[in-house]
Amino acid sequence: MSEESREPRDEGGSAFGKFLRGVGGALVFPLIAIFIAFVIGALLVLASGNNPVAAYISLVQGAVGDPTAIGRTLLNATPLVFTGLAVAVAFRAGLFNIGGEGQVFIGAITAAWLAVSVGFLGLAAIPIVLLACVLTGFMWGAIPGFLKARFGAHEVITTIMLNFIAINLATYFALGPLRSEGIVPGTETIEAATRIPAIGLGLGRVNYGLAVALLAALVIYLLLWRTKLGFRIRAVGLSPGAANYAGMRIGTNTVLALAIGGAMAGLGGGVEVLGVYGKMSIPFVSNLGFNGIGVALLGRNHPVGVVLGALLFGGLASGAQEMQFATDVPLDLSDVLLAVILLLVTATKLVELIIGKRARALASGTRLDEGLGNQ
Amino acid sequence: MEELFGNLGQLLSSTIRNATPLIFAALGGMFSERSGVVNIGLEGLMLISAFAGVVGAFLSGSALVGLGTAMAAGLLFALIHAVMTITFEADQIISGTAINLLALGGTGFLMVEVFGSGGTSPNVQGFSPVPIPLLADVPLVGPALFNQSLLVYLMYALVPTTYFLLFKTPFGLRLRGTGESPEAVDTAGVNVFRMRYFGVALSGLLASLGGVYLSMGILSAFTENMTGGRGFIALAALIFGRWHPVGAAGAALLFGFAQAFTFQAPQDVVPLEFLQMIPYILTLVVLAGFGGRAIAPAAIGKPYRKE
Repeated sequence: MSEESREPRDEGGSAFGKFLRGVGGALVFPLIAIFIAFVIGALLVLASGNNPVAAYISLVQGAVGDPTAIGRTLLNATPLVFTGLAVAVAFRAGLFNIGGEGQVFIGAITAAWLAVSVGFLGLAAIPIVLLACVLTGFMWGAIPGFLKARFGAHEVITTIMLNFIAINLATYFALGPLRSEGIVPGTETIEAATRIPAIGLGLGRVNYGLAVALLAALVIYLLLWRTKLGFRIRAVGLSPGAANYAGMRIGTNTVLALAIGGAMAGLGGGVEVLGVYGKMSIPFVSNLGFNGIGVALLGRNHPVGVVLGALLFGGLASGAQEMQFATDVPLDLSDVLLAVILLLVTATKLVELIIGKRARALASGTRLDEGLGNQ
Repeated sequence: MEELFGNLGQLLSSTIRNATPLIFAALGGMFSERSGVVNIGLEGLMLISAFAGVVGAFLSGSALVGLGTAMAAGLLFALIHAVMTITFEADQIISGTAINLLALGGTGFLMVEVFGSGGTSPNVQGFSPVPIPLLADVPLVGPALFNQSLLVYLMYALVPTTYFLLFKTPFGLRLRGTGESPEAVDTAGVNVFRMRYFGVALSGLLASLGGVYLSMGILSAFTENMTGGRGFIALAALIFGRWHPVGAAGAALLFGFAQAFTFQAPQDVVPLEFLQMIPYILTLVVLAGFGGRAIAPAAIGKPYRKE
């Protein structure tokens, strides 16, 4: 939902002014969280005997300093757009999708298997493989939706459990039936012709997976705000009681919202395999799903915000490498910063202390524990 | 006969070793969740404590000092969760997720700062097995149950203690009331915020024992991300055991047995990965069977605000 729909009061001014106020309001929580996180980070760097200014300068340079740095940032951001969307769609329906981690694995193993099998199709195989990832992610995401709709099992717990089931399942296939001969444990390498091509432009390894990510964000935006299904999903999220009264099926929308989220994360896993790794090796990249939660919340569960959040997270990750290289600060600092941002980004009362009572109005719609989602 | 006893004894002993960290963390999670605060940060609480324990023991040369630093770290991280969720009304699920990431990133960062590199820490003084006289000589169960680390004996004592504390004391009654109906206990003059702080703090202390047992009971060194999802299995045990100390301990023993079996079962019969899924699948089945929300503390997940 947009800020306007949450605040029906007309405060005067042009539509554009209202839009600006909405955007400004949306940025308050993330900006405060980011600011405090960087202050805490600086103290940590200081305590470790390093210069925080030098550390942060190298962090920024490593994130956006030159085309290769920007390329690294975009490369890191790409999967986070998908996992961020996976959280955001479910959130709009009043549901917490902690299952992005497992859904990524499901998409990745699907891609790793299918891309080798239909590799003879060359480039034409890519859309087929990605579509399959959407499908398997959708089905995997539907499981917690079904468990909630049918049995009332809380999706936070079921998605956490399904993460471990998915990781084990994908690991079994990658190390069992699909294992290749090579030294690195994992699946067979996908033919170069079936990989998502690089964009070039001096941006390093950035590939057209980024375009797929942006397209996915656009599709989710249109779905949520321009279709009946999206309207129903948001209505169920805002007020399950009213939605039910209006004849909407809460159960169906619950399943669909979580399944669409799963489809996004599954697609993300596929894009990683086809665009970056060319196979699924074990251990596979971890924490994409969990970082997606931070990305979505930072982006206030709006597709545009998700893209911005993913860029910030991606930039921190790539900047941290440069920081570790240029100074003595361990690159794990970026994980600490992300964790602190995540810790603070929903802290209504804290923001209230800083900007006053307005905080509560700004926070509404980003919280599941106060009405949104409680049936 | 001798061989069968040996194998069974090993399986039993390994079950206890695998279940112990789960039981500590699940009992911890129980206090937090019974007070109304979801704690999916158990994994992080265990991880930071496992690390802090090793650092303490490394710097002092004493395992007991390590236990102290571990409990301090677990308490500190739990209090971060408490301050964020109880005082600042941050979302409990999000805060718990953040605690997990913070512990993962924080231990990675501190590994480099304290030990000079990531990966695995140097070996430290740990809690090695101490046989209990007489009991340890009982065939089969003796060596399995009574030739364990001191922390395991502490765990044996904690299960009945937490049961007593939760169900037989005024403190326990208030804590449970706070999780079920905060308005009602508030009206009765109980400080809801304080009870929740107690609940979350206890979860940190108990989870820290699980972390210490991993890094200083089973091993005697810290390895990055050594909890490897055990905090989440503990969460599963808590739910499987229906938020009850004996139930949670029973579930943890079951999951511990599954893990112990994983190590001993012939790999070619059932793949390792499928055995590892067992706790998670069982939890899903239980959640579906019990109807999920009917058994969780009623006010769980919601910040309390005095009107």
